[in-house]
Order: sequence, then structure tokens, then C-alpha cells
Amino acid sequence: MNLLVWRLHRNQFLFAASALAALTVVLLVTGSVMAHDYDTALANCRATQNCGDLGSQLFRGDGMIIDLVNLTLVVPLLFGLFWGAPLLAKELEDGTHNLVWTQSVPRRRWLSSTVGWALLAAAAWGGAMAALVSWWRYPENALNSRFGAFDIQGFVPVAYAVFAVALGIAVGSLVRRVLPALALTIAAFVAVRVPIAVFLRPHFLTPLRATFPPTSPGTNRAGDWVLSQLLVVPSGGSSHLSDFGSLPSLCETQGFQSKGLIGPCLARHGYRIAVTYQPDSRFWTFQGIEAGVFLVLACLLVVLAFRWVLHRDA
Amino acid sequence: MSGPGARPAPPPEPAIATVGLGKRFGKLWALQDCSVSVPRGRVVALVGPNGAGKTTLLRILAGLSSPTTGEARILGRRPEQSEQFLSSIGFLAQEIPLYRQLTARQHIDIGAGLNPRWDGKAALDRLGAVRVPTDRAVGTLSGGQRAQVALGLALAKRPAVLLLDEPVAALDPLARREFLASLAAAVAEQEVSVVLSSHLVHDLERVCDFVVLLAAARVQLCADIEEILDTHRLLVGARKPVGEIERAMDVIRVTQTARQSRVLARLQSPIVDPWWEVAEVGLEDIILAYMGRDAEGIEQEIVNLGATA
Repeated sequence: MNLLVWRLHRNQFLFAASALAALTVVLLVTGSVMAHDYDTALANCRATQNCGDLGSQLFRGDGMIIDLVNLTLVVPLLFGLFWGAPLLAKELEDGTHNLVWTQSVPRRRWLSSTVGWALLAAAAWGGAMAALVSWWRYPENALNSRFGAFDIQGFVPVAYAVFAVALGIAVGSLVRRVLPALALTIAAFVAVRVPIAVFLRPHFLTPLRATFPPTSPGTNRAGDWVLSQLLVVPSGGSSHLSDFGSLPSLCETQGFQSKGLIGPCLARHGYRIAVTYQPDSRFWTFQGIEAGVFLVLACLLVVLAFRWVLHRDA
Repeated sequence: MSGPGARPAPPPEPAIATVGLGKRFGKLWALQDCSVSVPRGRVVALVGPNGAGKTTLLRILAGLSSPTTGEARILGRRPEQSEQFLSSIGFLAQEIPLYRQLTARQHIDIGAGLNPRWDGKAALDRLGAVRVPTDRAVGTLSGGQRAQVALGLALAKRPAVLLLDEPVAALDPLARREFLASLAAAVAEQEVSVVLSSHLVHDLERVCDFVVLLAAARVQLCADIEEILDTHRLLVGARKPVGEIERAMDVIRVTQTARQSRVLARLQSPIVDPWWEVAEVGLEDIILAYMGRDAEGIEQEIVNLGATA
């Protein structure tokens, strides 16, 4: 059984292994340089007690490397397309299921083994990639919010990869042809992944709220995920901070193009800034919730795929 | 004969037995009320026009499809997803499925891990004998060579019942003959019952000794070829009304011309009526006559050459 899986997917495996190896080399080299620069700069600035502007001074990978790292965002979908969707659809389309299902291995065992290896590969590659990116982003994570790169580090990439492959497998077993399976996998992946990231994730836990005067350094909360910033007028109403049209006219004379002047003016008139945010400390909780959601979805899809393959005529 | 430990002593059950087997796809019955019984050790020609239900029957027997009604048994065992059942059958689907990027040798190596009684060496020898390259991706082989590889894989399982769905339909005449020769050779050395479906009756006559004829989704004929040849006769005589002929005998097909009636009939006993001139008739003609029948009645072909004159 395992020899069959290996023979059929050896080329894909070797290609994926090469791609991962290349990514590893690039990230190890650039990541080491970055981490070293960061640690040196941190030591220096601590000596001079001037660490405020560390972020802008530092090499954080040149543009291409950053793009490359951000591109790992789509890799789970690629797994779904190259490993998941064709896994059963190609057998069904080529008719080779008739060959393999009339060997002496019961269909369920064949399916478990085939699907199991694909999901395992997805988890392994997703995990390796996520670990690399998490490590590579260490200076960036220390300087900015980890939430900014929530989707490519931690353990959600593993869940995305497993989900994408399970989705591809389920879709492939349903439509039984490779090309439609690919198209449907892309559509379904995006249709699930984007709404969860955009609409659900900010509310996994009730956001915290903080208010402070416009002059306070509290407006710059480095590690937190800021969901909204509102300007609270003295009467109690609020408006979006960027909505300068509603600013009190008395501060206009001082030139509201410059925040340095307008801040103290607003503060004098009793304005406050209200921020809703998810604190940095919730990062791993959120990772756990999101990964859990996608792993549960992946389980459901695998169950469906089994049902479609085992309880339908070949 | 098969090698040591190849198969336990034969159970009394027939190789294939179906009772009231039916399969419906949507509203369409692909196979209906199919009851056949085939003794062990036969090479069965499963014949019928396209769409007669041959593939449906074979896929049910192979456990790839489940029947809507009735039941099928192979060597007394219902088709099921168990190693015991699956290892007792060999199946070759119509489109001769193989993994195109793999070589014949790789297929044989893989099969060893999937089957308990795998005989990979015999498969390689067999392919060597028909000069099929075993170290090239099967996708680059000719249709005839691929069919040989697929047959080799099916036989390497050492199945008790081998089910072949139109394996020669897509082959050129030479490849077809070589395929059937390989099959005949394998049947001679391996104790195996074979069901071979085709709409090319002529090819089957050389290797088969039993016929199951499906037409209009039903079984029209299920018997030894010898018995079929013995019991079917062509009768030619002066013209008689069809109804009268039908009352006298089991008519398969009647051809009426102005002066003559030509009747293909299944006889229980020799014809003594001097009205008829009796001739033997070939298997192909008999089968074609059955295929021409609609679900219920006999085929009448009335050639009206001025019949009223």
C-alpha cells in the first residue's frame, strides 16, 4: 500500500522537498543576519538608552525576501491544489480506481492510507514552513504586532494546509475530475479562509477597550492588534479618528495637518481617544482557536470524502 | 495446474451465480432480473449489444458497484470489501486502466504489496514471452501491450474468477489475437474461471466454452456453447404464417419471403416435420438472432416481395 502511494507521488514529494529546502536556506541565511543585526542594535541602544526608533533603523529583510515570506500565505492553497484535489479525482478520472480497488486491499484501507499520507505531508510541510517563518520574523515580531503576520506563523499554517488538502480531497471525490476539482478547491478555500480571517477572527474573544488623551504615548501599542481607534468627543459621542471633518473648529486654527499641535489642543478641550484591540498576550489563544476551527472543518471534509468514496458506486 | 498452496479445494458453489440481479441508474434499468449460473472452470463469453448491461454485471461481480435488486455470488461469496473476496477475483476494466507514468515492472512490484498470492515472476515471464517492455512507462506502450500488462496484473493475483470487460474492443486484429492467445495460455496453466465480455462474437468463439447473452438489460441465453450449437437449427420451408410456426416450436427469429419461411429455432427434440429442411447454424448467427430480439418477443423480418401476388 505504502509503495503504491510512494510510487505515485514520489515526484511531488521530491519537488516539495526541494522547494522547502530552498526556502529553508534563504530564510536561515537572511534570518540569521537579521537576528544578529537586531540583537546588536538592541544592545547598542540599551547602552545609549535610546531604543524608541529601533524599527526604522533595522534591516528587516530586503523587499524580495519579505515578499517571499508573505507568499507563504498561499502555500496551503497550493497543497490543496497539487496534493489534495488530484489525489482521488485523478484516479477517478483516469479510471485507475478500477485497477486499485480490485486488488486485495479493501477500499477503506486504501483510502485511509492515501488520504492519511496526504494529510500528514500537508501537516509536516505546513509545520516546517510555519516554524521557519516564525523564527525568521523574530525581530519583526519583537518590534511590531505578531497579529500583522498572524496567517503565516505559529501553528495556523499547519491547520490551513491540512484543511486545504482535505478540501481538495473532498471536492475531488465529489466531482471526480481534476480540472473542476481544482477550480472548486480554489473557490471554496477562499470562501472559507477570507471571511474567517476578516470577520470572525477579530471577535474570537471580546476585544479590550482603552481610552486615553490624544497626547498620550498610549496610542502606539506595539504588540497589540488594534481593531479601531475612535475620537471621543466631550459630550460622549465618538467618531473615527481619521474623520477630521468632525474635529472641533477651535483646533483648526492651529493647523490640523500637524498632529503634534492638534493633539494637545484636543486634549485641552476634553477629547479622548478610544481604542479597541486584541492584546498581544492573546496571540497564542487566537492561533489555537483559528487552528481548531480549520482542523474541525478538515475532519468534516475527510468524513465526507470517505462517505462519497465508500458509499457510492465506483 | 496451479502451484502449491495456490487455492484450497474447490467448494461446490458455481463460479458465478446471480439471482434476480438488477441495477438502476436514475430511472433507467441497466440490468434487470439477471439470473445466471456458471459452473467453475468455464471460459464465459458475456455477449450482448452495447448498453445491454455487460459492464454493469461485471462491475457488480467485481464489487465495484452494488446491485439495486437481487444478489450476486462468486464462489458462493457475495462481492464485498474484504481481502478474502477481493483476492479471489481479477478484474480488467474496459478502458484498461494503468498508471501511465509507471512501468510494468513497477506495477508488478506494487501488486506484490497489495495481494496475498501475488505471482510477479509469472507476470514478468508472461510479458517477456509476448515481448512487452517492462521498463518503460506504460503510457508509452501500444494499446495491445498495455492490454497485455493489464492482463498480466490480473492473472498475477492468481484469482479464482477473472472478469474481463471488453478487453479487446479497442485493439487491432493482431493485438486482439495475441491477447486472446495469452488468455488461452493462462487458462490452460492456471485453474481459473473467466468471464470475457465483448460485442465481437467472432473473437470469443475461439477461447470460450460458455455463453451468457444479455440483450435489452436481460439474460437471453446462458448455456454451454456445445449445447447451444446442438439445440439451435435453421429451418427452411415453404411459407407458413408466423403464428403457426410459433405454436410448433421455440422460435428465435423468423424471416419471411414471398415463398419461404426461414426459422431459427431452439429445439427440444429433432424435427420430423418434412415441411422443413433442417440445417446446423453457427454460434455467431445464433447470438445475432438473440441480440436482434426485443425484450419480449421474437424478431420477425418480413420481406414482402409481392406477397399478395
